[in-house]
Amino acid sequence: MTNTQSAAMKSGYAARRKAANIIIYVILSIMVIIWLFPIVWLVMRSFSGDNLIAPKNFFPTEWTFDNYINLFAVWDSEANAWVDPDPFPYGKWLLNTFIVAVCSAVISTLIILMISYAFSRLRFKTRKTFLNFGLILGMFPGFMSMAATYNIMEIFGLKQSLVGLVIVYSAGAGLGYQVSKGFFDTIPRSLDEAAKIDGATRNQIFWVIILPLSKPIIVYTALTTFLSPWADYIFVSYFMKDNQENYTVAVGLYNMLEPNYIANYFTRFCAGAVLIAVPITILFVIMQRFYVAGVTGGAVKG
Amino acid sequence: MVSKTKRALALVLTAMMAASALAGCGPNNGGGTQNSAASANEGGTASQAAVQDINDPKVKEKIINAMAKEAEANGGKIELTLWCSGDDKPFEKTLVDAFEKEYANSNYEFKITIRNAYGEDKAGGKVIENPKEAADVFNMADDQLSQLVTAKAIAEVGSLFQGNVVANNTDDAVEVCSVNGTAYAFPKTSDNGYFMYYDKRVFKDDEVGCLDDMIKKANENGKSVYFNITGPWYMTAFFFTAGCEITYDVTKDKQVATFNTDQGLAAGKAICHIAESQGKGFEGSPGTVGDNAFVQQGFKEGTLAAAVIGTWAGPTIKEAIGVENVGAAKLPTVLMDGEQKQLDSFGGYKVVGVNAFTKFPVSSQALAYYLTNEDSQIKRYQERGYIPTNKKALEDDTIKNDTALKAIEAQMPYAHPQGTSVGGTYWAVKPETIGSEAYDKKGKLTDDRIKEILQNVVTQLEGE
Amino acid sequence: MDYLDYVQMTTGQRFVYKLKSFFMGIPGAIVKLVSIVGHFIASFFSMIANGFKGYGERFSNGDTGTKLSYVIMGAGNFVHKQIGKGLLFLAAEVAYIVYMVSFGFQYITQIYSTGVNIGGNIVNGVIGNEGPIYGQDPDGLTGDVIINSDTVDDSNKILLFFVMTVLITIAFVVVYVANTKSAYAVQQIEQSGKKPMSAMEELRSFLDERFHVTLMAIPVILLLIFTVLPIIFTIFVAFTNYDKNHQPPGNLYWWVGFENFADVFYTNKMKSETFGKILLWTIVWAFFATFSNYILGIVLALMINKKGIKFKGFWRTMFVITAAVPQFVTLLVMRILLDDKGAINSMLGTNIPFLTDMSGVWPKITVILVNMWVGIPYTMLISSGLLMNIPEDLYESARIDGANAFQQFTKITFPYIFFVTTPYLITSFVGNINNFNVIYFLTAGGPNSDSYYQAGQTDLLVTWLYKLTVNSSDYNLAAVIGLLVFVICAAGALITFNMSKASKNEEEFS
Repeated sequence: MTNTQSAAMKSGYAARRKAANIIIYVILSIMVIIWLFPIVWLVMRSFSGDNLIAPKNFFPTEWTFDNYINLFAVWDSEANAWVDPDPFPYGKWLLNTFIVAVCSAVISTLIILMISYAFSRLRFKTRKTFLNFGLILGMFPGFMSMAATYNIMEIFGLKQSLVGLVIVYSAGAGLGYQVSKGFFDTIPRSLDEAAKIDGATRNQIFWVIILPLSKPIIVYTALTTFLSPWADYIFVSYFMKDNQENYTVAVGLYNMLEPNYIANYFTRFCAGAVLIAVPITILFVIMQRFYVAGVTGGAVKG
Repeated sequence: MVSKTKRALALVLTAMMAASALAGCGPNNGGGTQNSAASANEGGTASQAAVQDINDPKVKEKIINAMAKEAEANGGKIELTLWCSGDDKPFEKTLVDAFEKEYANSNYEFKITIRNAYGEDKAGGKVIENPKEAADVFNMADDQLSQLVTAKAIAEVGSLFQGNVVANNTDDAVEVCSVNGTAYAFPKTSDNGYFMYYDKRVFKDDEVGCLDDMIKKANENGKSVYFNITGPWYMTAFFFTAGCEITYDVTKDKQVATFNTDQGLAAGKAICHIAESQGKGFEGSPGTVGDNAFVQQGFKEGTLAAAVIGTWAGPTIKEAIGVENVGAAKLPTVLMDGEQKQLDSFGGYKVVGVNAFTKFPVSSQALAYYLTNEDSQIKRYQERGYIPTNKKALEDDTIKNDTALKAIEAQMPYAHPQGTSVGGTYWAVKPETIGSEAYDKKGKLTDDRIKEILQNVVTQLEGE
Repeated sequence: MDYLDYVQMTTGQRFVYKLKSFFMGIPGAIVKLVSIVGHFIASFFSMIANGFKGYGERFSNGDTGTKLSYVIMGAGNFVHKQIGKGLLFLAAEVAYIVYMVSFGFQYITQIYSTGVNIGGNIVNGVIGNEGPIYGQDPDGLTGDVIINSDTVDDSNKILLFFVMTVLITIAFVVVYVANTKSAYAVQQIEQSGKKPMSAMEELRSFLDERFHVTLMAIPVILLLIFTVLPIIFTIFVAFTNYDKNHQPPGNLYWWVGFENFADVFYTNKMKSETFGKILLWTIVWAFFATFSNYILGIVLALMINKKGIKFKGFWRTMFVITAAVPQFVTLLVMRILLDDKGAINSMLGTNIPFLTDMSGVWPKITVILVNMWVGIPYTMLISSGLLMNIPEDLYESARIDGANAFQQFTKITFPYIFFVTTPYLITSFVGNINNFNVIYFLTAGGPNSDSYYQAGQTDLLVTWLYKLTVNSSDYNLAAVIGLLVFVICAAGALITFNMSKASKNEEEFS
């Protein structure tokens, strides 16, 4: 094989490769446009002065920031003052969701870590039984027993309350131990053994040795439990019923699209949706490696 | 031929009977007192004693004393919850404030919460679901009344209030609030029905009689006529028009809808006929945004020239094309069985009910009555455009000349009361499938398919 | 097929084989599920039998203190000077007795009463004794009112308290048996001349040997109250006539046995046909939704991670953004966009019935496509991470052996990803069976059909369940559907379990 031949082969190969790459660039660009279209459209609508739901133009004919302002206060020209945006107190809902998300993230993370540590590192007689029960309970459709949960909360005097919501979310977290159990399984047992020889109790091992090693899984658990209340519509809408002051943003935003309201509130819905989507998106983009680690770590373990 | 004449004759007769029966409730008729006396007799308990006027200070004192007793059991507080429809909340709040002033007393204080999560379409069902925690006082459409009574979730109207309700409201309004001769609700508005709004710049007032002609004209103008044939409430009009029997027996909870007959087929074909013009001067579905949003946007963008809808759309249409351009009329005629027939409709009422499990029965009844008395109804008309049921309120000059009211009155002979026509099961079996499919296929349905769909509706009703 | 045949197959064949064995495994899994349940019940009873045996033996071998503790809980501990522990046992007994007498017992008696139904007939098995009673109102201010509104029975409450009482009783029995064991144990320790544990030592053990009790107590109690109790309640509801015509407290409901199950399977033509159609669509949906996302997500990841493609971070972030926006937001926006009068049709000037086509074809395709839009970025994200894990020298040696890019993909990349993500694939299949959001927010199950009971053509079992609960108050039917979904998922999980065992074996071989 002479040099020229090899060079020709190389350049032919390079050309083919270049052509393939160009095709991939084209495909990727088209896909990105398709994928971003609805989101950019949503942002455009949120800045739109008209209230059109199905405009012919992609960009608003009239730009405004009012939709965002109206989420928190509406100008009452008669009273000459800012008033609460009555049927949809978005600010209140935002606060509700934030409180619920933070509280349930803290409690749920603790519960999940406790349970998965017990299942992963401790050996006791009823361990298998509990694992099986956990598996079985997880297979019932989540909202099959919503009505009964509501009745129980009524007994405790916690129906339609944010505290009740936090409790239900945290209680359900007890079944979400698989991923973090998988993570704990990967921490070498020799660490425990060594500590035990040094006279540490299991309690100390948990706090001093295992938890500091579990940063990724703690972040992953906290992240997922923090995010879920922002997106939960089904249970909250059933649980809060007519108590609009205690709605979360998901229920509130959904209600803005009811036939009675959509005509007047659609662009406001868009603004509200953008407002919660931005921080969550940023959070997720930053934390994505923890997310991947969590899911695949669990997946590898099976 | 014979049968056709007979049917036509029957139709005329029914229309005349309906018209004569309804003449009594029109604002132009002075015979109100006689009618009220007659219906008071049916009212049972209220009939024997003379009606005690609720504005009489003595009567009012009696009510306030009873309210104070209720408050005493609750630490001096009267805590009530009121459910109303979404955008009505600010207006209802002003009424509630006025009520608190009217019935103010040193023995108790009010704590009345207004919530608008459950509108008039859902309230009844939600009360049945869990009456103990539902609102004390709630607004609803009249057709939910019978189920509430069966479920024992709604309170009877006390004879004192009942006497006043019967004396002051139109007979029809009182009738829809009653089950087996007992009143269970307070009539609020009489406009829970539909008629036609149109753009006067497109149609002259004498051009809104025939749907086919309107569609043609709208199409020439590049616009459309809107009739939601995919909505069960609207498309039932065709089956009424065709002469199908659509009745609901409260006591047996039995729904009848004879869609599987020749009349049903005729109605189905008439729906298909107008659906053929879909996109060519006719618009048959609002899409997922719902009627109100669709109509509002349609008039705003100039794509709609006329729409079949109710009073609640009035303000937005006026805003979109200007008050002077808005016309209202009864429904047009449609082509059915080869002839033009006047479209029938639902004519319903919105009413206020009191929860049977309320801790404050007297206060709740007082509030419900107050929300539906003459002043409140007039204010409601002024602020929200809803047509009153109160006889004196209907005498009010501006109300009497309201275009929407005139359209409702013109449609009245062809309107069927909702409460005795349909119960919850009717909506549950999705009778609108025929309309949706006609819309989807632009009217190209075979007779067999029409029959199949309609038979399925009947089968489901029988299976219930 | 034995292992040798299996390893000789190409990746594609293996894939088809796994798929085939998945679906062929379904009947077997159901049989196995039944046998497991049977086994579970059998072992449960044998456990009880053993429990009784031990219970009797402890009694006959016990001293006075131990024997006394069979009646007065904690007596054995008192006798042997474990005062704190004894007090706890005694308190449990007293609390249980007080609970039963003052509250719990009445619900056990009310769970099967005789009452009068709406039609005036006498029925057996009514849950609760008394519906509302009316009294006269002499002042004419309220009409005839319900006079017993505070005490009127509510079948829901009675059934709930009944379940609660049963659970508490079971918990009490466990404590009671523990009490006899504890008494016997302390007796034996003393007889062998050792000193029983002091209260301090016992407490300390909860941080060490019994640390699992400390860790799990609160989560398990929360689960019992807010998950187990409601599920048992709902299972009971499946055997009652709790529907829109029997909503307490106005009308009490009663036990009807297996009637609701019969309705869903054969007696009620409309309900059973609806169930069949929805079940079929649920499986079809889960299949397409899972594999379309999976395969295309991997392809996307491969494209982004291909050598020579620039701005990898940019491309990845663009897709991650769409995955990060809360799902209900993007889905609601999609619904508005794809409406037949929505922005897409309006911009294109078309009239495509994406979500409303009555034949159901368009909506079914649309929900799968939108689900791809939602799910592909996730798969891309996960498989990107995995792609980077594949050791580079594997490709290096393949290249030296003369493998082209396609061969490298089929021999190295795909087997690796497929192997690692098989469990993920199966969980997402089960997840898609229960995928409420995509369907409910997009089509709400529609378009409606004349031949479905309370459901539309894109409804899944879970959205149907939701509609039955929230829209039509058919609570009993909803409970039946919930149970059936459970059975389906359990069967699926069993197959998963078998398959992942198989893949673990494979790992050992290679």
